[in-house]
Amino acid sequence: MASQRDVKNKIASVKNIQKITRAMEMVAAARLRRAEQRIEALRPYADALRRMTRQAAQAAGAEASRLPLLSEHENVEKVGLLLVTGDRGLAGGFNSQIVRAGVRISGELGEEGLKSEWYATGRRGVSSLSFRGYDLSGSYTGFADRPAYADARSIADDLIQAYIDGELDRVEMVYNSYVSPLTQKVTHERLLPISQATITGEEEGEDSEEGEQSGPKALVDYEPDPEEILKRLVPDYVEISIYRALVESTAGFFGAQMTAMRSASENAGEIITDYTLQMNRARQAEITQEIMEVVAGAEGLS
Amino acid sequence: MARTRFPAEVLTPEGEVFSEEIEMLSTRTAVGSIGILAGHEPILAMLEPTELRLYRSETDIVRFAQAEGYLQFAENRALVLVEEAIAPEALDRATFETKLSEARTAAEQAEPDSEEKARAERDIRRYEAFLAVGS
Repeated sequence: MASQRDVKNKIASVKNIQKITRAMEMVAAARLRRAEQRIEALRPYADALRRMTRQAAQAAGAEASRLPLLSEHENVEKVGLLLVTGDRGLAGGFNSQIVRAGVRISGELGEEGLKSEWYATGRRGVSSLSFRGYDLSGSYTGFADRPAYADARSIADDLIQAYIDGELDRVEMVYNSYVSPLTQKVTHERLLPISQATITGEEEGEDSEEGEQSGPKALVDYEPDPEEILKRLVPDYVEISIYRALVESTAGFFGAQMTAMRSASENAGEIITDYTLQMNRARQAEITQEIMEVVAGAEGLS
Repeated sequence: MARTRFPAEVLTPEGEVFSEEIEMLSTRTAVGSIGILAGHEPILAMLEPTELRLYRSETDIVRFAQAEGYLQFAENRALVLVEEAIAPEALDRATFETKLSEARTAAEQAEPDSEEKARAERDIRRYEAFLAVGS
């Protein structure tokens, strides 16, 4: 049985670990709040951009389907997979579930005879993909804690360019979408080509608004032509989709880290209770031992 | 003379930077400079990097350095969507000067008619516009 001092040392080190996990939990909670605010801040912009894109697409009419980002490639061979992960670990299954989903999707694509090209954001995703022996066509790291719009743009630029050049025939994205601090959902979305339905189709819940706008729409002035505007709106739409994924993933990461660190602190607490019990037993045993020795000594004298 | 006011909103991906009733809005579209007064006909325009001016009154003007974006005016409301909108006093000249010279180098090195070239030139226009506002 471990001596009293050994157990005492163990308790001290577990207590130190618990202090660290508690601190990390609180830091993650604070950053989560900030990340949540950024999701909120983005929403009006993203909604307005989608409305404008739809309006311009309707005005452009048939011209719209000629834009390269809206037209499907005839022969689909290569699919770009963009995995959005965090830069750091200690967040439960947050990063590994994305990598696992990516590998599974790539397997499914393989069965259809399609080749996957890997793109990853976040150090964790980049390192675990290269560790598994996948070649990355693009890796973007160092901003997972606080993604800026420019980060999303550089990713979008690369993907759009690859799509237009015919290096990729389809682009899909896998990320943790933010549901609540406790839940992140692995989400699989198609980025390119943007389906016509996404842009021109009417979404549920927005029909009433659509109706209001249809009146003056015919009289709207476009500067320059709707097609020209659409040419820039469509890449922006891709950028904003990536940016949204990055921001949601950041919030999800802090949520996952907070949860992971909370259970780590709870586990540490349990271990401390166990060790304290063990230490008390060891102390009790030592005392009993001593008493028996004293009694035996006294008996020997009498 | 006070003009009729209309609500104007300026949104960026990082949040709302301005939402007030104003008398006039001035910016620059891909076609040319534009000023919007209350009752302007509905418009959807593509904006170039420039100085965005929001006139609370003739003398009280809120200014922003804006990046590329879009302007929508409908039902007597103005909505400006821009990638970045920086107040002139918050504009860090040194940073943008470095970025501008980086973009210039990139533009020189990029092959003509390539996507990199176009991107670098777009950045140059943006940073030049920002610096013009900051000065």
